[in-house]
Parts: sequence; C-alpha cells; structure tokens
Amino acid sequence: MKLYVKALSGYRGRLKDIDLKKELKSKYKLDTRRQDTFIHLAVYGAQLLKEETSIYSDDELYITSGVGNIDVLQKTNNYVQEEKDFIKPFDFINMLGNTTSYYVANSLGMKDKNMFQISDNFTYINTLISIFASLKMSHKEAVLGSVDLCTEPDEVIKRVLGVDEDTEVTSSVAYQKFSLSSIDAIAELEFDAKVYSLEEIKALVQKSNLNIVSSMRCEDLELFQDKEFFETMPSYYLNQAVQTKRDLLYIDSYENRYRVIKVVNLV
Amino acid sequence: MRKMYKINILDYALQSSQGDAEETLQSIKDKNTTISAKEVSTIDGNIEIPYYLFEKKVEENPDDIKQAIKKIVQNISDKLSVEQRKNTSLIIGTALVDQNIVKAVVETMYDYKKKPYSSSKKSIDSFAKEISEELGLNAFSMTISTACTSSVNAVLEARNLINSDVIEYAIVVGVEVFSQMMSNGFSSMKLLSSDVQKPFDISRDGLVLGEAIAGVLVGKDSSPWAILGGYSNCNSLNITSVSPSGKEYAEVMNRTMDLSNVKAEDITTLKAHATSTPTNDMSEIHAIQKVFTPDVTFTALKPYVGHTLGACGVLELAMFISCIDDGFIPQTLNHTEPIIEEYVPLQEFKECHSGIFMLNYFGFGGNNTSIIIQKESK
Repeated sequence: MKLYVKALSGYRGRLKDIDLKKELKSKYKLDTRRQDTFIHLAVYGAQLLKEETSIYSDDELYITSGVGNIDVLQKTNNYVQEEKDFIKPFDFINMLGNTTSYYVANSLGMKDKNMFQISDNFTYINTLISIFASLKMSHKEAVLGSVDLCTEPDEVIKRVLGVDEDTEVTSSVAYQKFSLSSIDAIAELEFDAKVYSLEEIKALVQKSNLNIVSSMRCEDLELFQDKEFFETMPSYYLNQAVQTKRDLLYIDSYENRYRVIKVVNLV
Repeated sequence: MRKMYKINILDYALQSSQGDAEETLQSIKDKNTTISAKEVSTIDGNIEIPYYLFEKKVEENPDDIKQAIKKIVQNISDKLSVEQRKNTSLIIGTALVDQNIVKAVVETMYDYKKKPYSSSKKSIDSFAKEISEELGLNAFSMTISTACTSSVNAVLEARNLINSDVIEYAIVVGVEVFSQMMSNGFSSMKLLSSDVQKPFDISRDGLVLGEAIAGVLVGKDSSPWAILGGYSNCNSLNITSVSPSGKEYAEVMNRTMDLSNVKAEDITTLKAHATSTPTNDMSEIHAIQKVFTPDVTFTALKPYVGHTLGACGVLELAMFISCIDDGFIPQTLNHTEPIIEEYVPLQEFKECHSGIFMLNYFGFGGNNTSIIIQKESK
C-alpha cells in the first residue's frame, strides 16, 4: 500500500514550553472556549498544516491517538467521582472522541468524512491502512492528525502505555496530508498489514540501506531509538524524514510482532 | 476503473435490554418492552431516570465489558472456519468512556486508592485487540469513536477495508453499557426524557438511554442482504446540533443515495435516527421532508431498546434486518401527533419481505451518517 505525502506539520514537546491557547487565539484567531488541552494540541497541529498546504472542505479527516483525551477524563474523574460534583456539559461533550476531530475540522473548514480512531497495537499504521482503503473508494485526499497528550502527573499515561516507570514520555502532534496520487507529492509512504517476526525483521534490517529508527518497544533490535515515548511516534519520524530529506525505515513493535513503514523523499 | 465488490451482511448477533436477537424480535412483535431505571446525579440532586438495561448486569469495568463483547463476537465467529477467522478483523464502534484511563487516574492520583506502579498497553481498542487474539481473528483491529454514529461508521470502514482487499471479512460490533459519566452528561444537557421516547411527536421530551452490544459479519460471500452504499460527514450548526432546517442531514441522505445508485422513490422504508429530543427530531423530520414525498414509509426503533449511543449503528441495523427477515416493518411506538402533519411515522406493523432501506444515524460532533441496504426478493 502506498500513500503520497503532500504536506506535513507537527509539534513535539512538554506543553509547559508553549501556550497553546494563546497561540490559537492570537495567531490563528480561533475560539478556544469549551475545549481542553488535548483538543488545543490537535487544533494547533492542524493550523500548522494549514500554513503549509490547501485544505478543502471535502478532504477526509482522521484523528488518531495512542490513548485519547486523557486530559478531560483526569479532570472530570476528579470532580465527579471524588468531589461528587455533577458533570459540566462541555466536559461531557469533550469526552467523546470525535469532539476533537470536530474542532479540528471546524478550524480547517472541512465538512466531509471525519473519523476518530484508536488501535491498541500499531496505532499509526492501522490508521494509514484505513485511509488507504477509504481513498481507494472515495478518490479524495485525506488529512491525518496523530495526537498524544502527556498530562501531569505523567504516571497516569505511563500506566496505560505499557512502559517502565522511568520512561520519559512527552506530548506530540503530527499531521500529514495524503493522496493516492504522486502529483505534487513530497514523499512516498509504503506500508502494509503484514506482521513480521523478529527473525524476519532482522533480515529486513540487514538488507535495508535506509536510515532506520525503531520504536522503544523493539527491545530485541539494536537500532536507534528515541529517548522519549509517545504512541504515534511513527508520525513524528515520518515528518522528520521528510524535513531532513533522509529516507527512512521505521519499525514499530507490539508483543514481539513487527510492522514497518518506508518513507522515500520525492523532492 | 477499480472493481468494486458487493459487500454483504452475512450474519448478526445482538444483546439488547430486551434479550438476544430472538427475544428482542419477539418484544418488538409483542410491543412489550421492558424499561428499568437508574439513578443519576444532577444539579438538583440524585434522580431516577428510565433506562433500558441488560437483564443481567454488565459492570462498568473493562473485564466485564470485554466478556460481554466477546460473547457476541463468539456467537458470530464460531460459525467461521479457522481460515476465515484469520481473515476476519474485529472493528468496534463505541462512545464508551475508556475505563482503563479512569483506572490509571484513580490508582495514581488519590493516596487512599494508590496502587504500586504497573503498566500494560491499554486503550479503548484493547477489547478488540484482546478478543481478536483469543478467538483467532486477524491481528488488524480498530475502534472508532464518533459518538452515536460510531458503529455504523465502523460498518462503512469495514466495507472499505474489504473492498480494498486489506481483509476478507469483518465483525463489526457496537458497544454501549451503562456509564455513570455518560448518563450524568446527558442529564446535564437536559436531553433525557422522564418517561418514554416519542419519536417525531409534538410532545416529545427527550431520549431514554439503553445498553446494547450488537455485531454484524460483513464480507463478499453471497447473502440476501447487501450494503449498497453509505456516506458520513461532519457538518453541523454547532457541536451538538444541526440546523433546524435539517439541511445537513438531507445532504447526507442525498449523497448516500447517489453513492448507492438509488433514488428517493426506490427506498422501501427509512429507519430514522429519531432520538425524540426536541431539536434532533425537528431537524430530521425537515430533512425527511426535503428528501422524500409524504408517502414515504419511515419508522423509529429507539422506543423498543432506547438510545444505545455508539452501539445504535449496528444494533438498529441488526434489529431492522431481523424484522424484515420475519416479514414486517415495525411501527413507531408512542407516537400520537406529528411535528409535520403530512409526515407521520409508521403507525402499524407493515408486511415487508424485501426492498431497499435507508438507515439514518446522527451524532454529536457534527457526525452524520446514512447507509442503504437491500434485501432482494426471492
């Protein structure tokens, strides 16, 4: 399966380093009321993409996340379960996955297909497969946003990511605009649903002359791994590969099974 | 031009507040539905609301919910060969709150509930991933969360994946069990009826929530039931509602007909979303008026099982199929006076064995979906 990258954007880092709300309000003139940090992060990444490319009302929108809107659950759980207060209507609305994709779509002027999807394993690659299948039918283009928010204390998110307690986790948002057509594309993305064993992936690594990055979950591979973790890391590294013009083989892993994404720059 | 497969609905299983598929069908035929009650907290204190609950309680924790989902999936997957199961993906549509995160919050944040650190990869998709492993299904799973359109959108995703040869079959499951947080949320938005749902009725006053887990098997194998097409968009006036004119709903219904190569006059019956809330039913009836002439047959299923949120896509699809397979279109319960005089939902059971049917689903977040299915006459 192949998708062509038309444009990309992203931000990665601890959110104390950036005032998302202020950026959205002052720079992009967006209404940030009734939203929370997860939504702000998703909308912020989308605005960065909008600076890079044209987005049309009938482009398809996909938002994916390793965990989802942890921010609103942390907040509401505290005042509903612990303080026995009643839930505020907009916190209730924000708990729904597609509320985030609604605000993203709204900020980009998109009115077509709008999905919020989560896969426990291979989050990013599974969404790519879903996009590929949809574009085959619709012949449109798609915007994909990968959003992972690290809240304080970060122990909460670590408990559901399946990582060691001393793992460094961070927030990230990364967007791409995809097409099935290579016209005006800046990179080609190749992936499939195939799951590799450790032996198979080692053989693939030996044959490859690409820059290789692997997920922190690839414990049995001695390859470059990021020091920090978030679930949609392949999306970040795709953007890096294009920005640095270094073709990439990204290896993701889950319970000793492996899947790969190949990024080839076209310009 | 790329070849499009005919994607069919091959099997279904369901558990609603009225029981399994057979029991739910019987309750529709008898017009005898059981409604329970639940206590929710509101600004005015704790109140009891009507609620369509499972007869056997499913606790609001990941293990109980998983076992309940697995039972439905197994009901379908047991009829597949080992090879077929390997080529079958599980796709879940749900608006459930992720209890894994809630558990992590509780075990981290509060000293009196603090647990030693332990971590395993969990998300709302863990149900699909774990059940797939346990039942020998394909490793490719996903969970879609688009409010009340979650599971019908999951059906359309399954159709895309099969059409693109990514998978051979998909079991698509809609899941909704009682959630204190969701109930309180609907209550805080003043969307709950204190009595019964009255679709498209001038005195409608809100929805009644319901629990359900329902699954359909879709694939290319021959079946009397085919999915002709579907369309989903994100277009609304604001995050909770579309225009009173219903133009956004009408757009989705018209686009679905275009993509399915059918015209309004070809539609045998419309299964409306019909939440029975003042604003949603107003918009939907205006959309129906824009798309169909007054002689259209339309009905609503929620008075039989409640509004099952993320599960309603697959639940109402399976219920509708079971009614047509039994030879009738169910009437709309609790309707006495229409919003628009010429557009009255079906008042009596109508004999029907085949036809082309449109099913509407609309949700918060501007997510609107219609799907068209067909049962060919023998």
